[in-house]
Amino acid sequence: MKIVGHNLTTKESFYFFEIAKGLWITSRHFIYNMYFHIAHLLGKYPEVPAAVTVQYPEEKVPLSRRWRGRHRINARPDGSPRCVACMLCETVCPVQCIHIVAGEHPDPAIEKYPVSFEIDVTRCCWCGMCEEACPVDALYMDTGKSPEPGFSREDLLYRKEQLVKEMPLPGCQRSLNAPGQGPMEANPLGL
Amino acid sequence: MCLDVIITLLKIAIVFGFVLNVAAILSWAERKQSAVMQDRIGANRADVLGFRIFGLFHPIADTIKMLTKEDWVPPAGDAFIHTLAPFLALFTALVVFAVIPFGDTLHIAGRDIPLQIADLNVGILFIVAFGGLGFYSVVLAGWSSENKYSLLGSIRAAAQLISYELALGLSIVGVVMAYGSIELDDIVRGQGQYVLGVIPYWGIVAQPLGFILFFTAAMAETKRVPFDLPESESEIIGYFTEYSGMKFGAFWMGEFIEVISVAGVVTALYFGGWQIPFLSNQGIFIPGLFTIPLPHLLVVLLQVSAFGLKVLFFCWFMLLVRWTLPRFRYDQLMAFGWKFMVPLALVNIVVTGLIKYVF
Amino acid sequence: MPTLTIDDQQVTVDQGTTILDAAKKLGISIPHFCYHPRLTKVDACRMCLVEVKDAPKLVTSCSNAVRDNMVVFTGTPKVEEARKSILEFILINHPLDCPICDKAGECKLQDYYFRHSRQPSRFKDYKVKKHKVVDLGATMVLDSERCVVCSRCVRFCKEVAGEENLGIFNRGDHSEIGTYPGKKIEHNYQGNLADICPVGALTAKDFRFKCRSWLLCKVDTICPGCSNGCNAVVHFTLRSFDGIKGQRVFRLTPRENNDVNKIWLCDVGRWGYSFIDSIDRLTTPALKKGEDFVKSDWDTVLRETASGLKTVVERYGPSAIGVIPSPHLTNEDLYALKCLFSCVLKVTNIDFKLPGLDKGEGDKLLLKADRHPNTRGAELLGLSGTGLSAEAMMEKVKTGEIKALYLVGSDPVKYIGEKAEEALSRAELLIFQGTNFNASCKLAHVILPGATFVEKEGTFTNYQGRLQRINKALEPLGEAQADWEIFTRLGKRLGSYPSYKYAEEVFKDMAREVAPFTGLSYQKIGPQGIKLTLPEGKS
Repeated sequence: MKIVGHNLTTKESFYFFEIAKGLWITSRHFIYNMYFHIAHLLGKYPEVPAAVTVQYPEEKVPLSRRWRGRHRINARPDGSPRCVACMLCETVCPVQCIHIVAGEHPDPAIEKYPVSFEIDVTRCCWCGMCEEACPVDALYMDTGKSPEPGFSREDLLYRKEQLVKEMPLPGCQRSLNAPGQGPMEANPLGL
Repeated sequence: MCLDVIITLLKIAIVFGFVLNVAAILSWAERKQSAVMQDRIGANRADVLGFRIFGLFHPIADTIKMLTKEDWVPPAGDAFIHTLAPFLALFTALVVFAVIPFGDTLHIAGRDIPLQIADLNVGILFIVAFGGLGFYSVVLAGWSSENKYSLLGSIRAAAQLISYELALGLSIVGVVMAYGSIELDDIVRGQGQYVLGVIPYWGIVAQPLGFILFFTAAMAETKRVPFDLPESESEIIGYFTEYSGMKFGAFWMGEFIEVISVAGVVTALYFGGWQIPFLSNQGIFIPGLFTIPLPHLLVVLLQVSAFGLKVLFFCWFMLLVRWTLPRFRYDQLMAFGWKFMVPLALVNIVVTGLIKYVF
Repeated sequence: MPTLTIDDQQVTVDQGTTILDAAKKLGISIPHFCYHPRLTKVDACRMCLVEVKDAPKLVTSCSNAVRDNMVVFTGTPKVEEARKSILEFILINHPLDCPICDKAGECKLQDYYFRHSRQPSRFKDYKVKKHKVVDLGATMVLDSERCVVCSRCVRFCKEVAGEENLGIFNRGDHSEIGTYPGKKIEHNYQGNLADICPVGALTAKDFRFKCRSWLLCKVDTICPGCSNGCNAVVHFTLRSFDGIKGQRVFRLTPRENNDVNKIWLCDVGRWGYSFIDSIDRLTTPALKKGEDFVKSDWDTVLRETASGLKTVVERYGPSAIGVIPSPHLTNEDLYALKCLFSCVLKVTNIDFKLPGLDKGEGDKLLLKADRHPNTRGAELLGLSGTGLSAEAMMEKVKTGEIKALYLVGSDPVKYIGEKAEEALSRAELLIFQGTNFNASCKLAHVILPGATFVEKEGTFTNYQGRLQRINKALEPLGEAQADWEIFTRLGKRLGSYPSYKYAEEVFKDMAREVAPFTGLSYQKIGPQGIKLTLPEGKS
């Protein structure tokens, strides 16, 4: 066995002093935190935190504007997805979690539309490359939601119908157009 | 006679009630204390009707979980011994408390009730003997599981327990020499004296090195970090791999009870047991200065609480150590036990003997 | 023979060669839209302009023949400027929606834009709107907005397919491709329009929007549609998602071979690939239990087959076995079959010539009446005329003289009809080995799934006696295996049989044993195939 490390000094080789030092650090934390825990119970010093953790479902850390959450598809004013099934997201996706079946749209001006658009979130690695690749202002990851757990793989296959209903998280919206509302006055990203 | 039996049963109920409850609370304290030490909150999600009371329901939830889990016995193993092992672990840890005095003699209604379940004249030997018996639970659990890894784990654990038992026993010899008795009650009473008239003559004063050695060896006997190689929760496969449900819970509880037992023994041997400095039977007593008389019952109550608080302090301290130190490697563990602890314990005996001889 | 200098490199070419071809010889590619090596030259696109020393203006390289001592520059700033301007001019009315366009990734306009232009549009006016999604016939769709009016399609229909039904209508930036009123494209070479169209104007309905071109892998193969043996490229995907959803092979495109198919491919062959991933593919070995087929595994099925054949040979002699292979199989498959049945089992009743095998409809250009890629190969291997004919075998099966019948991809019910159906249902042991379910397979007692032409290595011999290779693009679907592999495994159970691991090993043995293939190897065949020296009276 190769033992990696430095040779102990005489003081260290006694263990005792080093252990005492370690115990001092941990007990210092214990006493400090305990003091403020009790103080909080008594309603004192609420501004001094006794723990660095966030009690997740009750408290949430504000999301960054660049945070990549669950996907959504922007809609045209008529509610149909803006996606033109160019498959650039499918191509760029490093884990191949997007699967699009393209079809001929009855309106020749639109020409191509996704007959089915599926994102397999069990595979998704949340890299956001699909969002960057999308050339038509359709796919975004700005819903601010994390994927919900499901009981089957089917539950975790997000389809077009579901994705188009998702809304952007206010303040985090990265799209030029909000779903179903037509063009916006200014680009929220300041582009 | 009948009354004696009732009184003894009452004492058993009180002591074991205390030990078992503290053991349950320790499972909560372990989570909470580690959390507070690490700037976290700790387990606080188990709730009853929306009340969480700092996660105190977690031990209850744990118990319900373990009681309702499948109790699985390896088909190829020995079912009887497999069942016996965890209870042996519980029993040996628990029974140590029988000889630990938790208060001075109580004079009530003309009777003298010693606050100790069994005042054995071989008290220390009893503790060492039953501490040693815990070794069987480990070996039997590993062997009866019919699993190579469990067996290897139990052999590893057995080696550790035997190695440290030696240092444990030798470090106690110092205390025995200092107080001239192997009866725990005598030792505790011996700690009521004063050195130079002001310093209480506790075991820690008489045997500072002995205390450190004993405490370290006792930690090793409890199989907790930094000596938790027998189980090492996540990495090495330990001797109770094949246990589930409440049998696993019994090992778990046994570990916590061992913690309390060690705390009790340390208190009794090195920290004056139920003694409170400058509090005698008559009341507060400063040698050579004054005495404030206090009622007998109050004094006994204070002494019993002092014992309880000392035990709780050592439980806290052992949790503190458990969440501070990293685990030994096996070769380090063995080297530390044999090349460091045992020689030091022997040195301690020689030095104690010399001091005894000189003074 | 004039000698000229192109970009400081000297080249000597034949009299009458164009500058573009001469440059191609040097490895210099000059961008072009309307020029196609096998069509007439029309100077329509102006994309191939090059600078010629002493010429007053830039000249079109596709239509100007070389002269001796000519000095040509293909990359001067003047030429680059001209290309940039031409591209800007073409892109004025071109919809800039490459993500939607099906040609993206293999579009010349897109490539040239990135290579020579890369400038944003300066055009501020409204674009001219033209017809989109125009139905040109059974298989083609036209998008006039994307068209650059190179007229390749018009010339192709007129000159190659011989059916003049496309034309350019209107003038200037309103000019549009279209069929003559009331007409549709009807010839058998429509698929080539999508190939030759340099942009996304003409797309095949079969491939349109199915898959993006950059997701496709390409492997050289031979079209199995008829005995012409056209060189082709199979486009398939290995993406697991698409694989799961079914379609793996997306299209066949032609590969240039002057001796066989020039650069064209007929629609029959081009769109005949669908059986590869179709729902009726045989993917697992199966045994008939009562009325139904039960899925099984190779070991069981091969054991059943071997013991069945062995019993028949022992009890009734080898003449009680009939074998009908299909000329869809490769030479390797057929040779492995011949080894197994005539050498190991001494069976003489092997005949692939089911009546009506070569009664398809052919045409003058590529399509042959015989719709099997390896009829000539089967003939050369002597898989006909050694014993009873296939039709006679049917009779014998009916009378009970032939007990066991081994069908390899062939479908007697299709060619002979009810008579065969009756005969097959009377066979004591009917083994079907093939790729797809068919009427004969329905009556089989044992089913062995075989691999299709894109799933195995091998060679086909076309009607001229030209030996050409096919390559493995995909793993066989499910548990299917190449036919030579099945014969090897079966042969091991029936007697001494060489243990082939690769199709090439089978070919090596065949090259040693069978006369026309003597001395050949896969290296010698090469990508373009090789003409066999045929015995007298057979060419």
